[in-house]
Amino acid sequence: MDRVTCTGCSLLCDDIIIRTDGLFIDEIIGACLKGKERFEQISAKNRIMDPLIRKNGELEKVSWDDALEKVLTIIKTSSKPILYGFSNSSCEAQLKGIKLAKKIDGFIDSNSTICQGKVLNISRDTGMTLTTMSEIINNVDTLILWGLNAAESIPRLLNKTLFTRGKFRMTGREIKTLIIIDPVKSVSFGVMGPRDLALFIEPNKDLELIKILKDECCSSNGIPSGGGAGLDETDIKRMLQHLQGAENAVILVGQGILTTQGNESPLKELLELIDLINLQQKKGRISLVMVGGHYNMAGFDHVALSETGKNQSLQFLNNKLINSNDSIVSKINNEDFDYTIIVGTDPISHLPYQLSSKLASKPIILIDNRKSGISQLADVVLPTAITGIECGGLAFRLDQVPIELKKIINPPNNLPSDEELLDQIIEKINKK
Amino acid sequence: MEMIINTVRKIDNDQAKEHIFGDEKTLKENVALAWINPENLKLINLKSNSNIKISSQFGSVVLRVLEDESIPTGMINIPVSIWANQLTGIENDQLIYKNLKANVEPSNDPVLDFKDLILKIKPN
Repeated sequence: MDRVTCTGCSLLCDDIIIRTDGLFIDEIIGACLKGKERFEQISAKNRIMDPLIRKNGELEKVSWDDALEKVLTIIKTSSKPILYGFSNSSCEAQLKGIKLAKKIDGFIDSNSTICQGKVLNISRDTGMTLTTMSEIINNVDTLILWGLNAAESIPRLLNKTLFTRGKFRMTGREIKTLIIIDPVKSVSFGVMGPRDLALFIEPNKDLELIKILKDECCSSNGIPSGGGAGLDETDIKRMLQHLQGAENAVILVGQGILTTQGNESPLKELLELIDLINLQQKKGRISLVMVGGHYNMAGFDHVALSETGKNQSLQFLNNKLINSNDSIVSKINNEDFDYTIIVGTDPISHLPYQLSSKLASKPIILIDNRKSGISQLADVVLPTAITGIECGGLAFRLDQVPIELKKIINPPNNLPSDEELLDQIIEKINKK
Repeated sequence: MEMIINTVRKIDNDQAKEHIFGDEKTLKENVALAWINPENLKLINLKSNSNIKISSQFGSVVLRVLEDESIPTGMINIPVSIWANQLTGIENDQLIYKNLKANVEPSNDPVLDFKDLILKIKPN
């Protein structure tokens, strides 16, 4: 039996027990549904085992030499590539992706840019109080899920944070308060107890609620008598009391709060509110955790920042990073590209049709281990090993802590890792 | 009827999961869905498992509707997927996938297959 880290989501649970003979994984103990799915991908029916090239509308199995030659032809006959994805790859592969983008004058971005990376961008102006999973498990007494259905997106998050006792106290769930702010009664509400607070906010009213809380912090008469944001006055007061009275509170932010409301960002206001309460706090503090979905969504920001000084939306020209206000959305929407290299993601499942159709109008090189919507549109498909199972590497957990992933079994057909494959492409370009 | 759409991640209604374990039939059955409050369903004179046409400023799609009391009135939840992406869009270079205004009406049209939507993205 081996203890391994699960790459099913960004929580990177390091307490999964597996039984393996080095060739197959026979038993998985302790993983959630998403984790089990990840391990079962090894032999899933949509697993890609061989390189594929589209001929007469159909993907056909080809040799690695032919597939890489096709990739090189696309690269050499085009000039404006987009490289996108990378949140299901190791940091080492992300670094190779940036090196490839540099070599081919490309624009590179990860899924983080349309997800939790937005928080990082906003925090450049305001700063941000982060925390770690250990701190949440051991010391947090108030958990706030804001626009986050943790039970379905990061299934073991609440087990690990809400129901744990922690190393430094004799009490657990009984002294912890859970506050969920969401318009919908998601399954996460199912774990709420009598001391918890369910706030069914009106859609698009997060900004209004945060502003009310900020006003109340400053003037003590900021909460309108009729309440606000679809919540009554008492509930808003209770929420603020919890935030101000907590010894150690953490706000876990999900997708529900990432979009601007009106022309303002609720995130910016939230970071300012946290700052305000932390300044007024005498005995405790509030921290924030950005909850991304993919297991190494946080990694790309770290790798890009340390390599280039910019965490996302990197445009290279003549081997150098240049100033650009483009985002992955504007690049695709303005059709400012002539081919894409997609790594480990399915944009067809998460980008609007308006973007998917533009993406599909130009050649697509896909590097991934499984068939999905994007593989049905790709011109070349290059299969790779599954990171954290068939190859190792580094990944950043949702609390921004780096975790080393181990290779557990050999990949089928000696498939290369994303890192090795990207390296092979760079070498081929160098040789030509 | 005018409503608000939210695209959501659900563990049992996930496009990636269906690509791994299911087929195009289960993908459509488990993902081409819209959850709506029973009160709203009554207002448009429909029952669970009927088809509805949802139209936003970015596009429209026909989905199978399921009633769900946990959804507030006036809101529709749709799993993040190629079907939901017919309704999501872009404003000021930002992806809009939450709180989209939409018109909802009963429909006799079928729910499109995954293949049809791929063909819509890239016609042969």
